[in-house]
Amino acid sequence: MLLEYVAIAILIALATFIALAAVLMGELFGPKRRTAVKAEPYESGMRPIGPGTRRMPVRFYLIAMLFILFDIEVVFLLPWAVAFRQLGVFGLVEMLIFIAILLVGYFYAWRKGALEWE
Amino acid sequence: MATVTAPALDLAARFPQAVRPDTRPGYSGWIVEKDHLLEVATALRDEFGYDLLSSVTGVDYYPDTMEVVYHAYKTTGGPGIVFKVQVPRQDPIEVPSVTPIWAGAEFQEREAWDLLGIRFVGHPDLRRILTWEGFAGHPLRKDWKEPFYEEEAKPYKSRWPDGKFFYAEEKNPFKDNLKFPPDFNPEDWTPDKADALLYASLARYLKSDDELKTDRVIINLGPQHPSTHGVFRAVAVLDGETVVALKPVVGYLHRNHEKIGERNTFLQNMPFTDRLDYFNSMSNNWAYALAVEKLMGIQVPERAEYLRVIMAELSRIQNHLILIGMLLNDLGAYFTPSLYAFEERELILDIFEAASGSRMMCNYHRFGGVVRDIPPEALQKLKGLVYDRLPRKVDEFDRLLTENEILVSRLKGVGKLSAEDAIRYSITGPVLRACGVPYDVRRAEPYGIYDRFDFDVAVRYNGDVYDWYLIRLDEIRQSLRILDQAIRQMPEGPVMSTKPQYQVRVPPGEAYGRIEAPKGELGFYVVSNGKPNPWRYHVRAPSFVNITALEKMCVGNKIADFVVILGAIDIVLGELDR
Amino acid sequence: MDYALLIEWTLKSLILLLVLLGGFAYLTLYERKALARIQVRIGPNRAGPWGILQPVADGIKLIFKEEFTPASADKLLFFLAPLITVVPALVIAAVVPWGPPVEIFGRRVTLQVADLNVGVLYVMAIASISVYGIVLAGWASNNKYAMLGGMRSSAQMISYELALGLAFVTAILLADSMQLSEIVAAQRNVWFVVLQPVGAAIFLIATLAEVNRAPFDMPEAEQELTAGYHTEYSGMKFALFFMAEYDKMIVVSALAASLFFGGYWGPGVERFPWLGPVYMAIKVIILLFGMIWVRATLPRIRYDRLMSLGWKVLFPLALAVAFITALGILLEQLWLVPLLSLLAAFLTSLLVTRAIWRKVYA
Repeated sequence: MLLEYVAIAILIALATFIALAAVLMGELFGPKRRTAVKAEPYESGMRPIGPGTRRMPVRFYLIAMLFILFDIEVVFLLPWAVAFRQLGVFGLVEMLIFIAILLVGYFYAWRKGALEWE
Repeated sequence: MATVTAPALDLAARFPQAVRPDTRPGYSGWIVEKDHLLEVATALRDEFGYDLLSSVTGVDYYPDTMEVVYHAYKTTGGPGIVFKVQVPRQDPIEVPSVTPIWAGAEFQEREAWDLLGIRFVGHPDLRRILTWEGFAGHPLRKDWKEPFYEEEAKPYKSRWPDGKFFYAEEKNPFKDNLKFPPDFNPEDWTPDKADALLYASLARYLKSDDELKTDRVIINLGPQHPSTHGVFRAVAVLDGETVVALKPVVGYLHRNHEKIGERNTFLQNMPFTDRLDYFNSMSNNWAYALAVEKLMGIQVPERAEYLRVIMAELSRIQNHLILIGMLLNDLGAYFTPSLYAFEERELILDIFEAASGSRMMCNYHRFGGVVRDIPPEALQKLKGLVYDRLPRKVDEFDRLLTENEILVSRLKGVGKLSAEDAIRYSITGPVLRACGVPYDVRRAEPYGIYDRFDFDVAVRYNGDVYDWYLIRLDEIRQSLRILDQAIRQMPEGPVMSTKPQYQVRVPPGEAYGRIEAPKGELGFYVVSNGKPNPWRYHVRAPSFVNITALEKMCVGNKIADFVVILGAIDIVLGELDR
Repeated sequence: MDYALLIEWTLKSLILLLVLLGGFAYLTLYERKALARIQVRIGPNRAGPWGILQPVADGIKLIFKEEFTPASADKLLFFLAPLITVVPALVIAAVVPWGPPVEIFGRRVTLQVADLNVGVLYVMAIASISVYGIVLAGWASNNKYAMLGGMRSSAQMISYELALGLAFVTAILLADSMQLSEIVAAQRNVWFVVLQPVGAAIFLIATLAEVNRAPFDMPEAEQELTAGYHTEYSGMKFALFFMAEYDKMIVVSALAASLFFGGYWGPGVERFPWLGPVYMAIKVIILLFGMIWVRATLPRIRYDRLMSLGWKVLFPLALAVAFITALGILLEQLWLVPLLSLLAAFLTSLLVTRAIWRKVYA
């Protein structure tokens, strides 16, 4: 079964090759007329004020943290789903308890306004 | 409608020290002493009920006087009041700003400062608005001459001498055709320097009082931006995605319409008005014709009056359809609604083409009528549109869009404006009516033959973008009602009361012609001194005045809402930048 | 090590890539034509008969455009970002079974590049990688629009990944396997969309968000962010982002078809296995039309509402649906599954509508 990953490695190599070739082709055939103004970042035709990359609103980080929490939950669900028919009632109850614990956190976050984007 | 005639307003009796009537022949209104302006204006607003300041502009009576002209109206209807402030024409020309009383004067006063050099004392942000920093002088002053100056009035004698033309560049070699202010060096000019003042005025919004300190960002939306409906620019301060402050920057399409208009003859200005709001040339023509007809004191034949109404209402319908379509585009609906709207618009433009010979730049009105009658086939087509197709299509739009959850949730509560604020900011047109003020020039001070028609002034009360959208649908329906009556009642007869002529004789005086254009109140203030071309030709453009309140509407909303609000105000840059 | 196997894999990879590249090119044409028809227009019809050479013309144009890097950009990341975006988009398709195993020259060949036993996990893992490409593109451009677009995009994609993962769980539960070939094989008699319509709907909605298509095309919201994360990109680098988006559309349609719409199954596939890819293609084309149709019809949801939808609606609903499925399997009453999940979906939509109108008319 592990051998199948060789096929994927081949695919990745080919895909990377195609992508690189495309960019290279553009570099090769495209014109190159650089000017200082052209090299400025685009901001509706005005010179930007301040850097483009800067501290973003904290909400983005909050979403990222919540995502990690709940994505792990989803990943746990995957093997559970595969083995579900063997586990039976035990599996369902076990998983319900696990999810219930996480849901407490979910509702806490909701109440705290972590899911609000206002 | 029972009209209660108010006792004749005698300002001179109320302010014997400060006000005297304007007795120049052909003029009306009051002349207010500069030092008493604020006092009189406050009284006008609070005691006499002139709460809507329609237009503020200046006239340069070279060489002695500079005059600032104010037109104020009551939102309850009825004729307005004109009052003027005269100051000696010596720099610095200073007049108190009326922005504390009517906030809507802000941009108009900036415009008067920019073009005429009248300094409004007490104005919060008196910068140039339509021209740029590197512009020398104030172009609407009569002693201002452009570097390529030829003559005071058109038609220029130099054009086609002996049937030969020459290129303007031959007379004005490149680099000599520009003038800069004395302390201005174009070589080291950068946009950063120019915008320093603007950014400085926004600097205080950059500090967040939030405990979780996020960077607030100044971001430019426009001039090269896909959704600002032209070369419009807004500088916004963002906290995350929320707009904290916003300043519109206009003038990228400025061509000094008014100066060109003063050089043109009266009739030459007629096609020129087409280029203001290029979606509604029919309405623009009408407003200008009204002003000049007032000066000339001529009547319009019956059939022409009906044709004017028909064209203006058709124009309103197509304008509102486009607005709804493009509003949906601003919401991110990929072109489907707007293309559906364009389909109907094309059919309306067919009528315009049949009547005037042109689809967009119609140039249809003349002083004393319209240029030619509508052909019978076009009238037949028009009937098909008004009685069958358009009502059906409007209902279809209504059915498709109005209840759409995404649309509702994106428009409800966005850009909310109270009725008081809307009046204070001199907002007119559908936006004002959607804020709960039933003010429509067609009813408030009927022009043409609007007093004959049975229609309702559409009003909505929430003042958010959803209502701005709904009111457009309402207005289309009312326009269809008017069209229905107009087509039925239209008599046969001539369409011009005067002989067609290239040069009209306009007696000296002033006139303000205003109509309810699809985008709001469109006014033309024309001053004649008896010569073939106007002494002053001012356009009170609804897009320009309505944009004054843009910041008020946007603050607190999301950056995505800014696009929607801007789209729903309904601006056209041809008219905004003039 | 079997050389024949290596050759088979290489050939299959090449064919898959060619199909995806050609599919990308003609998907753009398909979309433009379909949109045009919906919008009472004709659409591209100049390059070749019925405009069929339009994608070629577009491609050639993009090759001859200037490749352009802003001076203040992070050069390396700016170069890598389109690659990081496009490679996963191409590679996800490795596990999709395009048809039942067939005999070629006496060899039994599966019509998928790799039949992994953790196929679903593979899809989720690879799909997550392309988020990096988009975030890096936004970051490396050193442009405010791009940055905002990139951040929005990443937040959106990870938020919808939860619902997407749970939709996968329902399919896994029903098929009792993570292997895509077995999931498809399990739908021989009844498609999972019948058993789990709500799961399928959640999957389709979440994939729209995953591939940044309307009405979730927030990261490239033209109206406010000009072009979002790829504002600064031009020429072929831009084309790669474009290709990634459209290839992902094809791939998620293929995945949706495999997970819920019976994959390659259709009348006559048992006797003629080569009909499998044809059915698959038809299903993918229909699902793609759905995406195009949605784009032509719906306005964009505002960003905060989008996040609310993902976190407060789709995630709990998907969780509930997963457990309803598990319950149905446990009780061996499969008819309960669609019934209860539709009930849950109905209740949710009721609550959402109420919340929207309450908020709106507050």
